[in-house]
Amino acid sequence: MVWFITGASHGLGLEMVHLLVARGERVLASGRRAVTELPADFPDCAYHACDLADPNAVARLRDWAAAHGPLRATVLNAGAGHFRPLTQETAQDIDTVLAINLNANITLAHGLRAVLSGGRLGLIGSVAHKGAAGMPVYSASKAALDGFGRALAEEWRGDVRVRVLHPGPVATGMAERAGRKPDFADRLFLPPRITAAALLRALDAPRGADRQTVSFLRVGMHRLLRGTT
Amino acid sequence: MKVLIIGGASGLGAALVADCTMRGDDVHVIDIAAPVEANWHRHDMSSADPAAWDATGDWLATHGPFDLVVLSAGISATGEFEAIPLPDHQRVASTNLTGPIRLTHLLVAGGFLRPGGRLVFVASLSCFTGYPGAASYAASKDGLAGFARALRPTMRKHGIAIQLACPGPMDTPHAARYAPKGASPKGRMAPEQVAHAILAAPARRFAIIPGAGPKLAAVLGRIAPQTMTRLMGRILFSKLR
Ligand SMILES: NC(=O)c1ccc[n+]([C@@H]2O[C@H](COP(=O)([O-])OP(=O)(O)OC[C@H]3O[C@@H](n4cnc5c(N)ncnc54)[C@H](OP(=O)(O)O)[C@@H]3O)[C@@H](O)[C@H]2O)c1
Repeated sequence: MVWFITGASHGLGLEMVHLLVARGERVLASGRRAVTELPADFPDCAYHACDLADPNAVARLRDWAAAHGPLRATVLNAGAGHFRPLTQETAQDIDTVLAINLNANITLAHGLRAVLSGGRLGLIGSVAHKGAAGMPVYSASKAALDGFGRALAEEWRGDVRVRVLHPGPVATGMAERAGRKPDFADRLFLPPRITAAALLRALDAPRGADRQTVSFLRVGMHRLLRGTT
Repeated sequence: MKVLIIGGASGLGAALVADCTMRGDDVHVIDIAAPVEANWHRHDMSSADPAAWDATGDWLATHGPFDLVVLSAGISATGEFEAIPLPDHQRVASTNLTGPIRLTHLLVAGGFLRPGGRLVFVASLSCFTGYPGAASYAASKDGLAGFARALRPTMRKHGIAIQLACPGPMDTPHAARYAPKGASPKGRMAPEQVAHAILAAPARRFAIIPGAGPKLAAVLGRIAPQTMTRLMGRILFSKLR
């Protein structure tokens, strides 16, 4: 049975693919960048490049993943955002961030329902879903994903296990790319590999809440008990 | 006082317009249909057309700044998530979330909110209870809540209050359209009552939850979020599928 992971070309998604392939799972990976731009040590697995901001490309990604079903699990992990106040946003960027973090995930969940039967759906949110003053649009998109998963977990209960997992700050470089100036707090950021392992574990566990925060406490516990896998 | 009601042509928005007009406010409306009596501008919140948004920005510049803005326009799509056509979900997301964020961006960046004023997002009680059977709607309303929470500290520095109204079921055309078939309108709150609660709410309060029943549901949803959503699944989603 197959895993499908978005945002698999970098950061948490890439770490998840490394862990899954090492575990012997078959993985369908997707990211925005072209295959040729993938890191040299990218694991041996199928890859489909897709810009999630483009609805037509999302539809093609959905069809690609559905054709490889049934899926044991799908992790909708890709995400983007900007660290800046609303006054400095642009209309274009507002549309794009919501398209990637919300609309694309609605399309993928909708289209993959049938091939997910008996499997799991993980939605990667962020602790910013509670409202982070530095990134209002990103906060909105992650709060929306939380409400989406909350409803879907109940609707699909008994067939597809849906979980929304909210990571704390992770050292994937996303924060800097989002425009946040690095400061002393960066040294506290969570290590990507162990955070990815904790996320997979939270999705795998037979028991657990529909919506979970996977931050310092959870990731620390994971490292203590299981090391990096 | 200069007021702007998004979605002022019907339902809660129309009740707000009536209330504000009665108390002598200078009322403005943005909607896709004409309101009863107010200076209005036609704009579809789900629009992806840059020209339409530019026109709305120009209209705001001409008629602003406002002392009170309420974003009340909203649509829903109810039923099993996968049984609802995908374009319906996307329209809910753009009308209820992307559009309001775009409009807020125009208001804030353009300085069309007067210091001392209020900006009220109309979300839903679903922000506290969850809403199986309306997954994209629940997403859009929780998105508004996250947006409002993030915006609040920054806007407070400019003397503008950000508030989140979370009404339970209302006796409006919207409710009749999206409730389970044959559901009784009993227990739905009159939009006039909700409008009144919004207008009367002190600026320092963040969440406005009109009515004793919805207040109780919100408290329970805070204490036991997942239990509350499961309950919603039993009493509501089971009737929608
Ligand atoms: N890092 C944190 O501190 C943090 C905290 C909480 C939550 N999260 C969430 O965790 C998830 C993973 O974050 P991360 O730190 O691993 O981020 P990252 O290192 O920036 O990686 C993001 C991934 O998403 C993909 N992506 C971005 N925009 C895309 C688009 N338009 N179309 C398709 N793919 C796109 C990227 O593809 P390319 O690289 O090929 O462009 C990349 O694979 C995101 O949902 C993020 O919001 C991160």
